[in-house]
Amino acid sequence: MNIKRTLAITKKTFRGIWSDKAALMLLLVTPALSIVVFAFGFGGDVSHVRVAVVNQDQGYQIPPSRVRVSISGAILANLDSKVVEVYEVATEAEGVKLVKSAKAYGVIVFPKDFTRNVYEKSLDPSLSLDTTIRVKLDKTNVNVAGVIREAIGDALVGASASMGVEGTATLDTSDAIYGEGATMRDFFLPAIATYILYIETFLMVVQAFVGQRISGSLARLQVTPLRPSEFVVGNAIAYSVLGLMQAAIMLTFSVYVFGIACEGSMLLAFLVIGVLAVMSLSLGMVLSSLARRSEQALASLSIVALPSFLLCGMFWPVEAIPTWLRPLSYVVPNTYAINAARDVMLQGWGIGQIWLELVVLAAFTVFFLALSTVSLGRVKG
Amino acid sequence: MDKGSGLETGATLPRSPIGKRTPMRDVRTEYAAETKDLTMLFGKFKALDKLSLRIQRGIIYGLLGPNGAGKTTAVKILCGLLTPTGGQAYVLSTKVPNRNILPQIGYMPQETALYVELSVHQNMELFGELYGMTSKKIAEKEDELLRFVALEKWKHSPVANLSGGMRHRTSLACSMIHEPRLLLLDEPTVGVDPELRSAFWQYFNALRQAGVTIIITTHYMDEAQHCDKIGLVRQGRLIADGTPRQIMKETKTTNLEDAFLALSRGQETS
Repeated sequence: MNIKRTLAITKKTFRGIWSDKAALMLLLVTPALSIVVFAFGFGGDVSHVRVAVVNQDQGYQIPPSRVRVSISGAILANLDSKVVEVYEVATEAEGVKLVKSAKAYGVIVFPKDFTRNVYEKSLDPSLSLDTTIRVKLDKTNVNVAGVIREAIGDALVGASASMGVEGTATLDTSDAIYGEGATMRDFFLPAIATYILYIETFLMVVQAFVGQRISGSLARLQVTPLRPSEFVVGNAIAYSVLGLMQAAIMLTFSVYVFGIACEGSMLLAFLVIGVLAVMSLSLGMVLSSLARRSEQALASLSIVALPSFLLCGMFWPVEAIPTWLRPLSYVVPNTYAINAARDVMLQGWGIGQIWLELVVLAAFTVFFLALSTVSLGRVKG
Repeated sequence: MDKGSGLETGATLPRSPIGKRTPMRDVRTEYAAETKDLTMLFGKFKALDKLSLRIQRGIIYGLLGPNGAGKTTAVKILCGLLTPTGGQAYVLSTKVPNRNILPQIGYMPQETALYVELSVHQNMELFGELYGMTSKKIAEKEDELLRFVALEKWKHSPVANLSGGMRHRTSLACSMIHEPRLLLLDEPTVGVDPELRSAFWQYFNALRQAGVTIIITTHYMDEAQHCDKIGLVRQGRLIADGTPRQIMKETKTTNLEDAFLALSRGQETS
C-alpha cells in the first residue's frame, strides 16, 4: 500500500466534506442531538402514567380505637406520584372505559370492606375474605404495564408494613383489558414495521430526487409547462403506490408468516402504515428540494431518522419522556403512526378511535407536499 | 462542412415543423430574445457583465465563446432557470422568467438531462405529454425526430445503454418534440460526429426556414459559419455582434477563431 496515494484519497475526502458546510453541520450536530435526546428520553423512567382507581373500601374502625383507618387509602398514598397518576372513578366499567379511550393504562379495584377484610384476615389467616386488589391493565405496552405493577406492589408492601398487616393483601394483575398474552415481539413489531417503512420510503424519494437534480433532468422539466405542484403530486402518486406495496408486504409477512398479533382490521393497519409511507415520501421531497447537494439530502436522513427513533414512543411511552422534551415527540409524525398501528394491531381499535392520528398524519402529508411545491418552485438551474 | 453528408446517415430533411401554426402575436419587438445589461453574480464571480443582446426572430444565432464565458448562464436566464442579478431579459416579447412562454421554448441543456433508466421512446413520450401533445402527434413527431437524429434502431433502448453522443442526440430530439417557436440549444453538437453534425445544421436550417428561431451556444468557432448572426462573449461581456462575415471583416481576419483572438486582445488592452 502506498501511503502517499492513500493519504491523497483521505485529503480529497476531507476537502469534499469541508466544502459542504451545510452537510458538515448536519453530520456534527446530529450525533450530539441524538445523544441529548437519548440521554433525557431514556434516562427518564416511565412517569406520569394515568391509572383509574375504583375504591369500594370504606375503611375500618379497628376496635377498641375510635380511629377509622383505610389500608386502600394508605396504599394509594404510598404510590409514587411521579410514576402513577391516580384518577378516582366510581365503577370498574368507568375505569375500563378510560383505558379503552386511551386516557388511562389500567384500573385498580379495591374490593368492598378491603381494610376490614385485611385486618381480620391478618388476625386469622384461615378466614375466607376478599383481600385481593385487582389490577386490570392495558398490557399492550409491556414497559408501562410492568411499571404499574411494580409501583402498586411497592405501595402495597409499604402500606402493609406501616399498618402491621404484612402479607395479607394480595395483588392480582392477571386480568388484561388489552394485550392478553402479548409478547415483546407483538409489542415492538407494529412500531418497527412503521419505522422501517418510514425510513425506506424517505430514502427512496431522496435518492430519486437527488438523481434528477444531479442529472439536470429536474432543471429541464422546469423549462416545460409542468408546474411544481404537478411534479410533486405526480411523484407522490407513484411513490405512494410503491410505499403502499411495501406496507402490504411487511404487514402480510408479519401477521401470516410470523404470527404477529393483529387484533384489529388488517385493512386499517395497512391504511395507517400506508398513510405514514405517503407522509414520509412527502417529507423526503421537502428535504430533497431544499438540499443543494446529494450529501446534504443524505445527511438530512440522520436528522429525520435518529431523533424520531428516540422520540416516537417506539421503546418507551411518550409519557416517559421529560415534559420539556415531550412537545418534540408530538411534532414527530412517527409518534402518531406508531400509536395508531399499535392501537389497531394490539388493541383491536377501529377507525372511530384512531381517526385523529390518521388526520394528523394526513395533515403532515399535505403540509410537506405544499412545502415541496413551494420549495421546488424556487429551485432553479 | 458538407451539408449533404447528413442524408447519408439516414437523416432526412423534415417537413416544416411549424407549418400549421398561427403566427405569433408580436407584442413588443421583432426580437425573439433581447437582453439589456444582463448581469449575473454567483457569489463574487461575475458570470455575466452587462450583456446586451438583440436576436431577431427566425434566425440562427450563435453565442460563441470559450468555456466559462457566460454562454450557459445567458441561456439559462433566457429560459427562466436563472433570475438575473441585474438587467432584464425578454423572450418572445415577454419579460423572463415567465411560465407563459415555456410552451413555445425548446431547451436542450449542456448535460444530457434525460431519464437514463427510461428508453429513448419513453423519454420523448414524457416530454411530449408534458407539452400536452396527443399520443398520435407524439408518435408522428417522434418518428420524424428519431430519423433526423438517426436513432430509430435505438428507439426502445434504455438511454443508460447509449453512448454519450447518442444520448446527446436523444436530448436534442426531446427538446424539439413539441415544435417550439424558439430553440435554446446549449452546446448541441458536443460529442456528435462530423457527419451527423452536418446533418444537424441542415435540420436547423430547415427549422429556421420554417420560422423557428434558434439560439445555439458553442465553443467550436467553425460552427459559427452556419449561424446567421453571432455574438462573441468573453468574461461575461459581449465583445462583438454581427454576421460572421461582418466580424471577420471588422477584425481583418479570415476565420472566427482569429477574429475572437483579435477581439480578446483588444478587450484586454482597453
